[in-house]
Amino acid sequence: MSIPYFPGCTLHVKAKALDDSTRAALAVLGLELSGLPEWTCCGTVFPLARNNYIGMVASARILANAAKQGDGRLVTVCSFCYHVLKRVNHAVRNSDEARTKLNDYLEEDYDGQLRVLHPLELLRDEVGFGALRNRVGAGLKGTRVACYYGCMLSRPAAEMDFGDPEDPAVMEKFVAALGGEPADFSWKTKCCGSYQVLNEQGLVAGRVKDIFQAAAAGGAQVIITSCPLCQYNLEAHSEADNHSRIPVLYFAQLLGIALEIPINKLGLAGRYADPEALLQGARR
Amino acid sequence: MYTPEMLGLVKTVEQSRERRLKETFPRLTAEEKTNILRSYHPDYMEGSMRPVMVGPNAGDSMPHAHADLLESRSLADVDGLPLDKVDYDVDVLVIGGGGAGTAAALLAAEEGAGVLLATKLRHGDANTMMAEGGIQAADKENDSPAIHYLDAMGGGGFTNIPELVRALVADAPRCIQWLESLGCMFSKDPDGTMNSNHGGGTSRKRMHFAHDYTGAEIMRTLRDEARNRGIRVVEFSPAVELLTDELGQCAGAVLYNLETGQYLIVRAKTAVIATGGSGRLHINDSPTTNHYGATADGLVIAYRAGARLVFLDATQFHPTGVAFPEQIVGQLVTEKVRGLGAQLVNIDGEQFIYPLETRDAVSSAIIRECRERRKGIGVPSGYGVWLDSPMIETIHGKGTIEKELPAMFRQYIRFGINMAELPIIVYPTLHYQNGGILINDKAESGVPNLYVAGEASGGVHGRNRLMGNSLLDIIVFGRRAGKNAAEKAKSVRLGSLTLEHTKRFNEELRQLGLGRRVAPILLPDYRGKISG
Amino acid sequence: MTGESTMVSIYIMGKQYEVPDGVTIMKAMEFAGYRFIRGCGCRGGFCGACGTVYRTPGNFRLKVGLACATMVEAGMHLAQIPFYPANRAAYDLQALAPTLGTLRQHYPEMTRCLGCNQCTRICPQGLPVMDYIAAAQCGDLEKTAHQSFDCIMCGLCASRCPAEIVQYNVGILARRLFGRHIAPPARHLAQRVQDIEAGKFDDELERLMRMGREELQKRYYARDIE
Repeated sequence: MSIPYFPGCTLHVKAKALDDSTRAALAVLGLELSGLPEWTCCGTVFPLARNNYIGMVASARILANAAKQGDGRLVTVCSFCYHVLKRVNHAVRNSDEARTKLNDYLEEDYDGQLRVLHPLELLRDEVGFGALRNRVGAGLKGTRVACYYGCMLSRPAAEMDFGDPEDPAVMEKFVAALGGEPADFSWKTKCCGSYQVLNEQGLVAGRVKDIFQAAAAGGAQVIITSCPLCQYNLEAHSEADNHSRIPVLYFAQLLGIALEIPINKLGLAGRYADPEALLQGARR
Repeated sequence: MYTPEMLGLVKTVEQSRERRLKETFPRLTAEEKTNILRSYHPDYMEGSMRPVMVGPNAGDSMPHAHADLLESRSLADVDGLPLDKVDYDVDVLVIGGGGAGTAAALLAAEEGAGVLLATKLRHGDANTMMAEGGIQAADKENDSPAIHYLDAMGGGGFTNIPELVRALVADAPRCIQWLESLGCMFSKDPDGTMNSNHGGGTSRKRMHFAHDYTGAEIMRTLRDEARNRGIRVVEFSPAVELLTDELGQCAGAVLYNLETGQYLIVRAKTAVIATGGSGRLHINDSPTTNHYGATADGLVIAYRAGARLVFLDATQFHPTGVAFPEQIVGQLVTEKVRGLGAQLVNIDGEQFIYPLETRDAVSSAIIRECRERRKGIGVPSGYGVWLDSPMIETIHGKGTIEKELPAMFRQYIRFGINMAELPIIVYPTLHYQNGGILINDKAESGVPNLYVAGEASGGVHGRNRLMGNSLLDIIVFGRRAGKNAAEKAKSVRLGSLTLEHTKRFNEELRQLGLGRRVAPILLPDYRGKISG
Repeated sequence: MTGESTMVSIYIMGKQYEVPDGVTIMKAMEFAGYRFIRGCGCRGGFCGACGTVYRTPGNFRLKVGLACATMVEAGMHLAQIPFYPANRAAYDLQALAPTLGTLRQHYPEMTRCLGCNQCTRICPQGLPVMDYIAAAQCGDLEKTAHQSFDCIMCGLCASRCPAEIVQYNVGILARRLFGRHIAPPARHLAQRVQDIEAGKFDDELERLMRMGREELQKRYYARDIE
């Protein structure tokens, strides 16, 4: 089964590991992602002003092009892309004004009927966590995993529909399906500082420190995320702040490990915090 | 879009296609070729030429349009023009912003010379930009510069100047490599092997290309590189006279700013004329493939300074100019269309010439087919023959035309003709000035310190140039001219600037009762007309 | 052609002229009395000098075409855009790496693309301009190079870009980076250059140069053809 997929700009370069591991892991589970033939940047940030439609045009066009694939779904994995595409889709579907104004700028009309899906939702609804549990080995058994959602996946709740906005649970259920143990992690939906890393290094460093401390307090052996920017911020500051040397992986890399996919297909080389211990566990 | 009558005629072409796919039309023998040229090539048309009355070539026959120009007086007021205020003082002045000029400027700058490039239109508005089909270089294992030499000599009717042809073929691979190093995107196989086709008159597949934007790709790359290197360019400023000093050395040029009407004085130790050809003179009232500025300016100003011209009586008519639709009559249909297998076909669906004979021969055969045998297809401007482009899709697979000939496809689809499905109608169109200012293999003209490169020069192609040897010519001789001009500039000592040579020339004209017109004409004048 | 044509009114920069129907904008302007200095180059669709914008009656859309390849329409209002200022980076191609970083370093504004697609809509060559900028934004130089290959650098895309990107300059940088650093070099070419420099073909060429016309002609007509 092949599903239309929007990789996003970051996954082409900096976060290639997220792209590689997502495609590889889902392929093993029989879900083939086929990249859209033409796509642009999603815009990265959902406009704060409700009527700033020009900031939504790019996403609306991506959605319109994806709808032409005829599948009815669009998968995207980067937290930012998922956030923006899902919210723009919501606006097109639910707001007459947004739909009319955006369609004015598109080459073909789009009505918002696409379902924008995160791979975690695919795993939950298409593969099924029960089936996933039967599919993976015992390598991650007992591994304590901090599920870091960050700020993009679950809020605003009405538009993102990703579970409880402050306490989503899909990632924890995913970890449990892999045989791991979700760590108690109070910072799971806090912001890492995001783009402030460009001009407020100190602010990000402080938040990263708190995130690692919270993860360590929960006994986490690994932190997982689906956000290239969270991953970057956490890793970039881990030298200084990650005293417990907790590796930060993409959830899809963890899935890949559980599925015993060779690590060169998961982009696990050359990391600041070494996931070797984790891998050894998986190989055992 | 075709008329219903034309669409009816297309059926005949389609019906004979399967048979023709297996058919190879016999090549011309040496004798047949001589005869067809003598009988039908426009060069031999009664009354199309006359001897020029004045200057180094006095007595030589050439098209009226060229003779008219050479017998014209100066455009600038050479008696009143002050030469004491020099606007640009440089080592090397390059006149012309096409491929040859830009290559010359790059090489001259590389030699450390202070360079000024002056051009009539924008940098890059030139025939180079419009060259589609390819550039020759003998670089495959089954090929050699010697085979390339023989092909070029045969194409030129064995009249080419040997030392120039040798330079052309021996420099060719090095020049392609230079372009490759500048990032030209030649069409290649995944292992780097350059794709190559036949052109008319080649005995090896040595035509390299970049889809059918070969000249455009070369031109924009060279221009981009010139901009990167900070070479000074003045646009919309054609040279209207050369300057000399008391010793008769070339010493710069007078530029004319087309936008402000001002004259600019350039003192230069050496100068390179790279002003291209003369299609916009519309020899024999023919439409042309040439760009807007192809008016032989360089020939005119060099001639007044004493440069000798050669082979001006040999004009290249490209066999396949657009004959329909009317809006783009005369524009180029690249020879690559025939290189990919399309045949020339008459109204009865029959071939009448081997499609890859040299251009002079193919043009003559098309003219014969229409004029004498009356087997052409009627179009508003006269007649034409079919070029069976859909054959390419049959031979190389569906989609080949859009992929390999995107410019051609676009040219026709803009007017509702899909050349992948329907044959197109073509007729010879004025394409190239085979001759020009005589040079040696250092690109030197007979005038001290004056170099010439590209279509403005003459001798390398003899009486007829092969496809793919013009893009090659501009690079080979552009580079040679630039390098040699820069080297020479290091030892040149100039006297004071004069226009004495022009004054003498004007006086001679006056005594002969000539010089009623002025030249260079700079731009054609189509006001109140529909241009060809 | 003018004799039999019907005439139509067009408005060149707001001024009405009667011109023959069915001719290109360029020929119509000349018929109307213009003698171009700017706005006319190759006259054949390759040089990008004659980018023209126009509107037709009853349609709010801005239309575009090359004057040399677009037919006049009755009632059209047109203006040429012979030049549009463009930001252009200077660079040493040989020293650059073919990466996203290189593109962004020279044209940081390219990441400002809003996805409005006006560049694609205005491109007279019909190129997917926005898509090749999108490919550039994710460092896919090869895709940018190929998708922008037919660009004639007329500048109309840049004239419409709300993000002030100069798309065609990003395109040529990507193409040159691709051609120089990514596309595999032609080995046969390098080999032949070496052979020529070593003088391998000198004797044969000199023999041919000394050969009389008849002998040359004999050889020419007897040569084998690949």
